[in-house]
Amino acid sequence: MSVSRLLAGCLLWGCIPLLMAAKQAEKPAPAVAVKLCQSCHGAHGEGTPAAGIPRLAGQSADYLDKQLRDYAGGSRENPIMHQWAIQLKDAQRTEVAAYYASLASPYAVAPAAAASDAATTGLLARGHQLAHQGDETRRVQACDNCHGPDGNGAPRTAPYIAGQSAQYLAASLKAWKEGTRKNDDGQQMRSVVDRLNDADIGAVAAYFASFAASPNSGSQ
Amino acid sequence: MTQRLKEVDVVIIGVGMVGSIVAKELAAAGHTVVGLERGQARYTAPDFQGPAIHDELRFDIRKALMQDNTREPVTFRNHGSERALPVRRWESFLPGTGLGGSMVHWNGQTYRYQANDFELATRTRQRYGKDFLDADVTIQDWGVTYDELEPHFDRFEYLLGTSGKAGNIKGTIQPGGDPHESPRSREYPTPPMKEHFQGAMFRKAATGLGYHPFPQPSSNLSQPYTNPEGVKLNACVFCGFCERYACEHYAKAVPQTIILPVLLANPNFQLRTGCQVQRINLDSTKKKATGVTYIDAAGREFEQPASLVITASFSLNNVRMLLLSGIGKPYDPNTGKGVVGRNYAYQTMSSVSSFFDEDVIINPFMASGASGTLINDFAGDNFDHSGLGFIGGAYIGAVNTNGRPIQYHPVPPGTPPWGKAWKQAVVKHYNHTVQFSCHGSSIAQRQNYLDLDPTYRDAWGQPLLRMTFDFPQNDLKMAAYVTAKAVEIGKAMGAKQVVGSPRKGPYTTQQYQTTHNTGGTVMGNDPSTSVVNRHLQSWDVPNVFVIGCSNYPQNASWNPTGTLGALTYWAVDALKNTYLKSPGRLVSA
Repeated sequence: MSVSRLLAGCLLWGCIPLLMAAKQAEKPAPAVAVKLCQSCHGAHGEGTPAAGIPRLAGQSADYLDKQLRDYAGGSRENPIMHQWAIQLKDAQRTEVAAYYASLASPYAVAPAAAASDAATTGLLARGHQLAHQGDETRRVQACDNCHGPDGNGAPRTAPYIAGQSAQYLAASLKAWKEGTRKNDDGQQMRSVVDRLNDADIGAVAAYFASFAASPNSGSQ
Repeated sequence: MTQRLKEVDVVIIGVGMVGSIVAKELAAAGHTVVGLERGQARYTAPDFQGPAIHDELRFDIRKALMQDNTREPVTFRNHGSERALPVRRWESFLPGTGLGGSMVHWNGQTYRYQANDFELATRTRQRYGKDFLDADVTIQDWGVTYDELEPHFDRFEYLLGTSGKAGNIKGTIQPGGDPHESPRSREYPTPPMKEHFQGAMFRKAATGLGYHPFPQPSSNLSQPYTNPEGVKLNACVFCGFCERYACEHYAKAVPQTIILPVLLANPNFQLRTGCQVQRINLDSTKKKATGVTYIDAAGREFEQPASLVITASFSLNNVRMLLLSGIGKPYDPNTGKGVVGRNYAYQTMSSVSSFFDEDVIINPFMASGASGTLINDFAGDNFDHSGLGFIGGAYIGAVNTNGRPIQYHPVPPGTPPWGKAWKQAVVKHYNHTVQFSCHGSSIAQRQNYLDLDPTYRDAWGQPLLRMTFDFPQNDLKMAAYVTAKAVEIGKAMGAKQVVGSPRKGPYTTQQYQTTHNTGGTVMGNDPSTSVVNRHLQSWDVPNVFVIGCSNYPQNASWNPTGTLGALTYWAVDALKNTYLKSPGRLVSA
């Protein structure tokens, strides 16, 4: 296929941003990110999923900026994040948020992990239901409504959750439920999580974690 | 072959807002209730979920939630001398179908009519003299007063969780609310919605002109709320897909989010969907209903006997149901006699577009169905009509409900309707235009009415409803007057160009206006000018109640749902506390 035909195809299918992303070298990390963020969130913002430390790469800049403010201000309680967030000046916080938003995901697209046993299959099926359909018996709406199709995020305010650490997602949902996280202006998350039980929280976290992160998740 | 079913206490035609409320109350009081809904059962999850629910082509253009007019349209003509034709594509008004009814696709704008509205004929004569109106104007009093309805308005708003700011609590004017409103007994259940930028601009300009802006009362909620039925609603997320859509967030007050969970849990209630009621059956005296006959989705015909029949369908269908059933004398515009179909009225909608420079950013897509800023200074009888030659008025408001891509593209007059210049104008103005709505009243007039069409029939072989309507001169004068006032506000906001579009005749069904069709089964104290008495009981067949906007003798300056909710609880009160204890006439004819 000639270059021009490839280009024409890309124009048709709207994949120019991907090509551009692939061509661009990753921005150098701001000094403050090197100093404060990388040891936990990874050199490329990939997070440490098994430790419940979320992936930041490609997340909405506005969302990250707000979370840092809220960690500092206390409407999102987390002692570790609080101590870093309070050190950031406004300009540094904005710079860090913009930097992580600019990073493409380090992961390739792959199908969701196949379940290896019946329990996991059931867990993922329940997660699938909550993610895409909601549950009238609990009166909860689907995650997709705000977090975008397949949880890919709806910037500026709603973060991607697809491909995110299951431990992180579960901990975050529990934080909404327990009231240690209350930085949703309209109480949207608190209203939803209030109607989920622990099994639901585990299911939805496992389901979204089973997505391999899409290269453009959360990018804008 | 009609199958006769076991008799129940109550059969309700239509399980929308009215049907759900009435059914819940009567089932809870121990009566067996069957709800017959012609459309499908549907629930927030999974039926209203995204991203499918934001399909503008499906819901906005193709009207997916509306009455199926391939099977059941209405026919329309402007004047009695014309031949009516079926409305094959809903545009002007959008009757819904399915569980939850038209409320599922409403915008949540929740008003109370004012005390004056319920005694319009009397008060108009008192203030302006008996000869103020044209001879063919047939406005009349409702037979119920605001003070009688107040507790029921209150109950309805607390059922919905309506977000707003009171302007008058028990006679004391409240800062920030609407000072023109009739006294309410307490504050709204939830605080007002966040104000848009254009609302703030409107507020400033209107205040500068000496008017009294207030936040639009919204039943898309500003915060989570648990209603007195124990049902929880969420806060609105300003997604911009409200009217014509169902809400995916449990944030818009609709039967599914306010009362159906309680109703459906009551074993005294049985919901049957896909059931098209053909008629209310009468006994040989024609003074007593014996139940209804309906055809289910499989085409089978059933007779459902019942001691009490309540028709709670969309206003136009309430009228049609009585006409098909031979209940009440059909109205004849030539003689002015008869009542069923009489005093059909609508809403007189005008608009103003204010075009700003590109440094004024409106973000119209960040919208809820009811988060505008309004004034009532030119609504109802809140201003002196002496010498103006009309009665009624309109609220004026920066009411932006959406910025959806297919339907929303304000451009100045003179812009070509398609092509490159149009596209450039859309890009230029989309994010820099403020829209005002002038939401106007509609008087009843002798020649506007509803009857059965002599030619066209529905999919079941029954005559369609025929609508004969054009705008009364009174209302066109009102629209011109109020729209000019709105243009002044747009100019005071500093817009570069302000374009007023006062409503002009003739009325067309091909342009969206509102789904506020009223009248046809009017309530009142005089059987010669009303179909139902003040408790919404048929004068002719006392075990039939009719509840809907079809009860309005004429339409006021506001969206009708709040007043319908109050009337519903008002009728429930009479049903539970009087009628069902001792069935019979609640008012002697």
